[in-house]
Amino acid sequence: MKSTVISMENVTLHFPKLSSLLSMVTGVFKKKDNKFTALRAVTLEVKAGEVFGLIGKNGSGKSTILRVMSGIYPPDEGSCYVSGKVSLLAGIGTGFSQHQTGVENAMLYGSILGHNESEMTEKLPEILEFSELGDFIHEPIRTYSAGMKARLGLAVASAIKPDILLIDEVLGVGDPQFREKSKTRILNLVEQTGTVVIVSHSFGLMKDICDRVGVVHKGKLVMVGTPSEAIDAYYEITE
Amino acid sequence: MSGENIVEVGLKPPLIKAPIYTLREVLQNKFLIRNLVVREIRGKYRNALLGYTWTFIEPALLAIVYYFLFYMLAGNPDELYAMWVLIGIIIWGCFGKSLQASVSSLTRNKNTIHLVYFPRIVFPMTAVMGNIVTTLMSCVVVFPIMMIFNLPLTIYALLIPASVFLAGFLATGIGVMLAPLNCIYRDIEHLIRFIVRAGFFVSPVMWTYEMALERGMFGEAAVYNPMLTPITLARHGLEGHATTLPSTVIALCVGFGILTWLIGSYVFEKYERRAVKYL
Repeated sequence: MKSTVISMENVTLHFPKLSSLLSMVTGVFKKKDNKFTALRAVTLEVKAGEVFGLIGKNGSGKSTILRVMSGIYPPDEGSCYVSGKVSLLAGIGTGFSQHQTGVENAMLYGSILGHNESEMTEKLPEILEFSELGDFIHEPIRTYSAGMKARLGLAVASAIKPDILLIDEVLGVGDPQFREKSKTRILNLVEQTGTVVIVSHSFGLMKDICDRVGVVHKGKLVMVGTPSEAIDAYYEITE
Repeated sequence: MSGENIVEVGLKPPLIKAPIYTLREVLQNKFLIRNLVVREIRGKYRNALLGYTWTFIEPALLAIVYYFLFYMLAGNPDELYAMWVLIGIIIWGCFGKSLQASVSSLTRNKNTIHLVYFPRIVFPMTAVMGNIVTTLMSCVVVFPIMMIFNLPLTIYALLIPASVFLAGFLATGIGVMLAPLNCIYRDIEHLIRFIVRAGFFVSPVMWTYEMALERGMFGEAAVYNPMLTPITLARHGLEGHATTLPSTVIALCVGFGILTWLIGSYVFEKYERRAVKYL
């Protein structure tokens, strides 16, 4: 029996809506809901070594689940437990500085993702090689194309070795060759990492790599099952 | 890996320890903070022909303007007056910019906050440290001034960088306290901008501690302004002598800084996680 490494118990999360002074005054007379409920009593367990997928329509709450797991939003009700170092891969290249070089940005992004100086110094050669940027690596990244930035970002992001990896739709960047290469790299990362939770719209990929898949709809985790069961359920719900 | 070491996400030490463990978080993230500070400074002086020299051209130009303003209003100022104003502008600028930047630090970094988690105290700290670094660079301007006015370069010149740190420290507590609130109501940011402008005149930027003392009551009231200490210390350092500020005034200022840090770090840790949901 494998141990549980992620455990969400009845997690409910609200986002407050901000009201202006004027609507506050007029709002006294109207009963109005001033919050948006993003997650409703989500209960979910992920075992060590498992690749767990989350599917659902845009805005259903898939990404929010990952953000609760990584500590970005604390749940309003219920609780979330994890075991080990958690890393969230989302929005590749967050915090890039347009006016600094590729190398500087690699260090910057690495530190944003939680690496210390010695880890980054050690990983830098590998990151630079994977990014295939050649001499451009010493140019400010404002001169880069979108694909080049994405490559650099992915190279840094995929150099991490967490205990639990959360992936939020980061595949499909760059040209077809790089996309293939990055898919392989992510798959390697998934293999090496003990436990992975992945959010993606590419059902083919989900079928290939996930042990179990959950379907999220309007903030609720409606079902958990094998990838094909979940994908069938997804089409049923969204139709 | 066993199920026993499973821990609640985002569990923090008791709030009462906030002033200490936020400092520990800052130390643990120094590589990140250094990178973010560099990013901020690079961003500020990008594509500028004069680059970092703007750090001291700006206060120097302001000092000239205020010198003429004062000359027209009061006539015949002391020959060192322009220098006093210059160092006043530099030190006050460190406080004002640090305060504004730290108050708006969470709102400015909302994209990062939504996508990665690291201790959020890093954001206001980066804002303050970035301004301390640029202010230290602008302090280079004091060397030519010392030569022009034949002021001796003594050990007391170290009072100048010390005042820069003190000014930044005074801004930290207040900035950290207000940053989460600013996520909810951006009014804070606008209010702080006004306070920084008004505070410029209430603090000894265009006037000095010694001038205030000559005015009796006014001088007695002025010592309760925490910013009097860093600005006056820097001026005494520039003049190359030990400070004549009473130690009670200095203690009052440092005490204010520590008190605002204690309250600020507590407020930040208590509200930060709720506040970022508004971003």
